[in-house]
Amino acid sequence: MTASTLPEPIARAAASTGIKYGFRRPGSSPAGKTRRSNREGFKINWWLTALMVVASLTVLLPLYFTVAMALKSPDQIGTGTGLEWPNPMNWENFVAAYVATNFPRAFMSTAFVTVFSVLGSLACSSLVAYAIARNWNRKFFRGSFVYLLSAMFIPFPVIILPLIKQTALLGLDNPAGVVFLHVLGGISFNTLLYIAFVRSIPVELEESARMDGATTWQVFRKIIFPLLAPMNATVGIFAFLGSWNDFLLPQMMIADPALQTLPVVQMLFQGEFNTNYSLAFASYLMAMAPTLVVYILAQRWVLSGVMRGAVK
Amino acid sequence: MSAAPLSRRALLKAAGLAGAAFMAPLSGCGATPSTQNGVTTLRFMQNKPEVVDYFNQVIKDFEALNPDIRVVQDFNEGNFVPGLVRNDPPDVVTRGFAQATADFVRKGIFADLSDMPVAATIDPKMQDLVSSWGQYNGNEISALPFSLAAAGVIYNRDIFEAQGVSVPTTWDEFVAACEKFKAAGIAPIYGTFKDPWTLAQGMFDYVSGGALDVAKFFTKLNAKGADITADAPESFASNFGPALPKMLQLASFAQNGAASKNYADGNAAFAKGQAAMYLQGPWALSQLVAANKDIRLGSFPLPVTNNPDETKARVNVDMALSITRNTPNMAAAQRFVNYLLAPSVVNTYNEKNAAFSPLKDAPAVSNPQISGLGAAVDEARYFQGATTYFPPSVPLNNYIQSFVYSKNGEQFLSALDDEWRRVAERTAV
Repeated sequence: MTASTLPEPIARAAASTGIKYGFRRPGSSPAGKTRRSNREGFKINWWLTALMVVASLTVLLPLYFTVAMALKSPDQIGTGTGLEWPNPMNWENFVAAYVATNFPRAFMSTAFVTVFSVLGSLACSSLVAYAIARNWNRKFFRGSFVYLLSAMFIPFPVIILPLIKQTALLGLDNPAGVVFLHVLGGISFNTLLYIAFVRSIPVELEESARMDGATTWQVFRKIIFPLLAPMNATVGIFAFLGSWNDFLLPQMMIADPALQTLPVVQMLFQGEFNTNYSLAFASYLMAMAPTLVVYILAQRWVLSGVMRGAVK
Repeated sequence: MSAAPLSRRALLKAAGLAGAAFMAPLSGCGATPSTQNGVTTLRFMQNKPEVVDYFNQVIKDFEALNPDIRVVQDFNEGNFVPGLVRNDPPDVVTRGFAQATADFVRKGIFADLSDMPVAATIDPKMQDLVSSWGQYNGNEISALPFSLAAAGVIYNRDIFEAQGVSVPTTWDEFVAACEKFKAAGIAPIYGTFKDPWTLAQGMFDYVSGGALDVAKFFTKLNAKGADITADAPESFASNFGPALPKMLQLASFAQNGAASKNYADGNAAFAKGQAAMYLQGPWALSQLVAANKDIRLGSFPLPVTNNPDETKARVNVDMALSITRNTPNMAAAQRFVNYLLAPSVVNTYNEKNAAFSPLKDAPAVSNPQISGLGAAVDEARYFQGATTYFPPSVPLNNYIQSFVYSKNGEQFLSALDDEWRRVAERTAV
């Protein structure tokens, strides 16, 4: 169920079903590379290379600014083009930002929201999708699918005040309520992703499990959920980014300022007319770190996930 | 097969029971009594993230003196309306006082503070700034001013001294000073036209506030309601016309390329001495000093007429203290507000933040950056900017920006009249 156990089920599933899941094994590409570089007259597409360099600059340049800004003192910010690397570097910005935001507490609150939003999204959406996909011939389930999808047409800001009222009545004006709404809010889109995938899993697999005496729950837990692994990665990544970076919902929902999440606490550096850029960027960098780490670790799944989510 | 539906039903039933059990204890803590072990917890929501540290210290001192009260500070102002929706708003609130806060006042969100002894220590002229937005039940005091920000022209003392220019007290002197800077190759004013709000609060508010009685104008305009037409004596077209050429003249004194500079650019450039004057309020001072700690700054109210006694400063009640009407901790909240308005707290705050204290017997401002505005504030020669009277649904700042570029005053004023009438028609009861 956790992200770290994903690779094995994919491999097992792929081996047992014979379905190709589109992952390039790390070992398969080097052969291609050496062949290319050794071959005489290999032509480099300079136009495409230039395009790629420009494209990667759109990511790297803001990242560079973030790091440089985080290390600047206030009087270094106003000078020059902004591209200069700060000298001397002000590492104490990080300390100041850490103290000002009470970083550990805000981090834990954000981590709580994120972890449970991801787990909740995976569990709820996959169950819903399985139920709907395998009962497609019944009107009720088809109707409920349309019902879930229709939720995607309601803009969130329209319902936020009623939601606040409701969650307050239920005592959910805290991070737990934010988790609840993240899971709920994600169900329609995630179910859409899952259903398309569940349909591609042959029913025969389940039938054979049933022959061996598996219950519906066991079929889901032992067969379907592991086979959903690639889609779990996609949904997990969407849920992670969505809840880690979410601003509006925690800002409006969490009543106790001590439980507030990082994106909201970081507002501290932005006054109406004044922005403390160096501290702001130092704290953005600290808040970004987990996302960056997750991205670097999960790059393979992110890329394949983007493609997988494209076909519904 | 027959066993499956049964077990499913059992599963659903169990899930339902579990859900209910989960909700039941939580639903009890909606409107909590905030007193535990004799210690009352107050929630204090303040509207300026940059002064969180100051208030943390104030709260610490207050708690030491009042061990039966604990104060939690919250700077997440976006949670105020949700707090009201939850029926669990913060107990003590500070807000910038203008249109939006006045809306809350008119709806009776805040308690009446007129009985509090500290209310008598507030300068009545500053209290009038708050009351001018309307009072609940016609006589209640819903907010006590805590900090008054006065805005005028920020100037670079070094450049003024080097050019032998003294602070202008009339419009003609001001124009002459600008011409002198121009002749010396110095940009008289640093313009940041890319950020339309800087044009609105600077040029538009200063000139309109200095040339006409803005408060009276909007009182009449509001009384007229949706019947307003461009040729009515209450309209923008009939009143703002004479002020427009001066706005354009101000704009013409800006440096070349002002259209592509924003507020942050302006702060950086002005701190480096690239212009003599800057039409900004005290909020820019800390940014300017942060960018250049050696800069010597001063402020003066922009003279718009040739009578120095008519020169006025633009002010806004930057922070006003309120207690929410339904707070269960009224007594504790009042003690906290009392403490915040003690001279040692409120005067120190305003001294540190280049603002003016609302207390009757506050000492004269010594900060050289804003002392030039002191006389105008003491004599109540001030106005609240015309822009603050506009409902947010009018894109006023953009109209001002396009007026500065097109220089078409007639079109500008008739657009304002049209917008005002449209909003009045929509909101007419």
